[in-house]
Amino acid sequence: MKTIIHMLVTLSVIGVISGGVLSQLSGWADPLIAEHRQRETEAAIFEVQPEAKKYEKVEDLAFDLYKVTDEEGNELGYALPYEGNGFQGKIRLMVGVTNDLGKVVGLRVLEQVETPGLGTKIVTDPSDKANPEWFPGQFNGVITSPLITVVKNAKPSKDSEIMAITGATISSKAVVDIINSGIKELRSLKGEAN
Amino acid sequence: MTTITANPSYKLEFASSPHVHSRWSTKRAMWMVVIALVPCMISAVLFYGFYQLLIMAVSVLFAVLTEAAVKYFRKREITIGDGSAVITGLLLALIVPPNFSLVFTALGAVVAIGLGKEIFGGLGFNIFNPALVGRAFLQAAFPVQITTWTVPNYAVEGVTSATPLAAFKFDKVGTEVSNMFFGNIGGSLGETSAIAVLIGGLFLVFAGVINYRVPLAMILGMVIFGGLFWLIDGTTFPDPIFQLTAGGFLFGTFFMATDWVSSPVTPKGMWIFGLGISLVLVMIRLFGGLPEGVMYAILFMNGFVPLINRYTRPTIFGEAK
Amino acid sequence: MANKVTAAKEFIKGLWDQNPVFKQVLGMCPVLAVTVSAENGIAMALATTFVLVFSSFVVSIIKNWIPSQVRIAAYILIIATFVTIVDLVMKAQFPALSKALGPFIPLIIVNCLILGRQEAFASKNSVGRAVLDALGMGTGFLIALFLLGATRELFGTGMILGFQIMPEVYEPWLIMILPAGAFLTLGLMMGFFNSYSEKKKAEERNTIVEKYRQAKRQAETKPLEAN
Repeated sequence: MKTIIHMLVTLSVIGVISGGVLSQLSGWADPLIAEHRQRETEAAIFEVQPEAKKYEKVEDLAFDLYKVTDEEGNELGYALPYEGNGFQGKIRLMVGVTNDLGKVVGLRVLEQVETPGLGTKIVTDPSDKANPEWFPGQFNGVITSPLITVVKNAKPSKDSEIMAITGATISSKAVVDIINSGIKELRSLKGEAN
Repeated sequence: MTTITANPSYKLEFASSPHVHSRWSTKRAMWMVVIALVPCMISAVLFYGFYQLLIMAVSVLFAVLTEAAVKYFRKREITIGDGSAVITGLLLALIVPPNFSLVFTALGAVVAIGLGKEIFGGLGFNIFNPALVGRAFLQAAFPVQITTWTVPNYAVEGVTSATPLAAFKFDKVGTEVSNMFFGNIGGSLGETSAIAVLIGGLFLVFAGVINYRVPLAMILGMVIFGGLFWLIDGTTFPDPIFQLTAGGFLFGTFFMATDWVSSPVTPKGMWIFGLGISLVLVMIRLFGGLPEGVMYAILFMNGFVPLINRYTRPTIFGEAK
Repeated sequence: MANKVTAAKEFIKGLWDQNPVFKQVLGMCPVLAVTVSAENGIAMALATTFVLVFSSFVVSIIKNWIPSQVRIAAYILIIATFVTIVDLVMKAQFPALSKALGPFIPLIIVNCLILGRQEAFASKNSVGRAVLDALGMGTGFLIALFLLGATRELFGTGMILGFQIMPEVYEPWLIMILPAGAFLTLGLMMGFFNSYSEKKKAEERNTIVEKYRQAKRQAETKPLEAN
């Protein structure tokens, strides 16, 4: 009986001390972490919408969506964080589109776990010293109707085409598919709103 | 009373059972394999040019040098004369794409011998086929370069540089069987010409260097498993004849899966081994991310060989069943 | 038992003779998973060392109050507290690094290196020795992770800590930054280090045998003096 009480007391004391320390710490860390998240999202929004000056979250949606405006408050388009399946795991993107959803104006990969050295070229390609971000860069100005398609081993011939990364066709396609389904979602949303 | 005088030149050798007897010395068998590979080498030069001879030379040279170096540093007898390193080098060269970088080829040969064979203790101790280990390393290290297929010299109009398997898998484009039979297609150096592989392979079977069971089991397995899916859905899955002639199947069947060291020794085990390779291969080809998987299928089954040998061991005479 | 070992030796043994990675083969999950670059290796090792040192410190202080039946649970609670501290601080102060190391920071909790040192050392030794031991083990872990990370980064990308080392023509071996490369590098390194220490051991053995023989010869030549 005595040992049982001893055991309970020891573990409880350690647990209480540990909980107290951690709750103090998280009181300090949580706002900082939230701030980092916020800043990251903000940076991504302004990167995919280079002309934007202000943004505003569209409320009452099942997913996140940001409406961006210039200094005078003219609507420029949307920034949409959207995710889907890549080659090995989830890819999370921030896609900037024009107001009529007809054109992509910028793309940034927020999270990915693609194969190092191959699929990770959807973010940067270290082998291309002059333009390491050639793959996401391709999406600037891509026409989204008809939906974006991928071409292999060739330069895109149409405004709605993207050149795939050699050796990482699946990752390239995954990015395009995520953008396409995101745009479809936005279209159906707009259709409902109108 | 007789006195027994010890003769120092007479050495009594002990080895534990099983005692595997063969009329073949390792050395002789190895050089037979080299002869059997000649048709494949000819087809490689014929379809992709003389540069391919350089790839073979570099691969063989580095394989032999690696073996000699390892043996030297481990202070063991240098055994490059048995020809096994030559074969590993040659086999590796024949399963890389045409016009492959010589630097990568050399690296592959070093890995094949160093990590594929010598690290286990040398010939006879390696679990995996050394040439395939080298190829697997190259595949993981340089995935772009090793899947860049040069168009063959006498390419028919409209034949792209994609291999038939890749063309079928990603674009649903078939390839004419006659082209695949002669080797007028995209693919690795030695694997494209079905007829060249068959000449060499059958020579080995009839000369008694390799056992017929593993190749037969693999071909049967491919017809059964490949045919099954083709019967289920003939449009999404290729027919078994295509599967048999495409990619590295025949080359792997006759030259890789039959490797003495890394394949089972019991007759029943050989059947299991061959059928297993085909089953894994069909799964990779039809449902995997890659168009071809002979290499992975054989390496995968290589890992099972000790287990297969153990479970198919013949009953010892007198032992209760 | 520990009194015969000098304090310095408690620290030094973790660097090489009992290196947690190469000799004890502990904590393989982070060792293999995060060493794609030297930077990740260093960060992981520092985080682990922090947790190890503070856990050893706390455990060696309260070692006499913990009932032996629940000692593992108590150690894990203490370790988990420090891991959560590291995780929160990293997320708050170094978000980029925290992203790169991903789920492996929380997994430090189950790194058997840390629990192993509590059970094998901190719970039986004084505070000072426990901390020294933890520092030594942590440094040994750092050395190993840096070596692995740097080698893999060098061959896999041509760089170390982001600086280009290999010439421009060098084509990176992607396999080295894939999981397979981790196993290859670790295996080869262990092989080399083991063969080196085997050789050293054999030499030591030979010198001891030689000394013994000399002593014996001397004893045989002067048998009377020995009596």
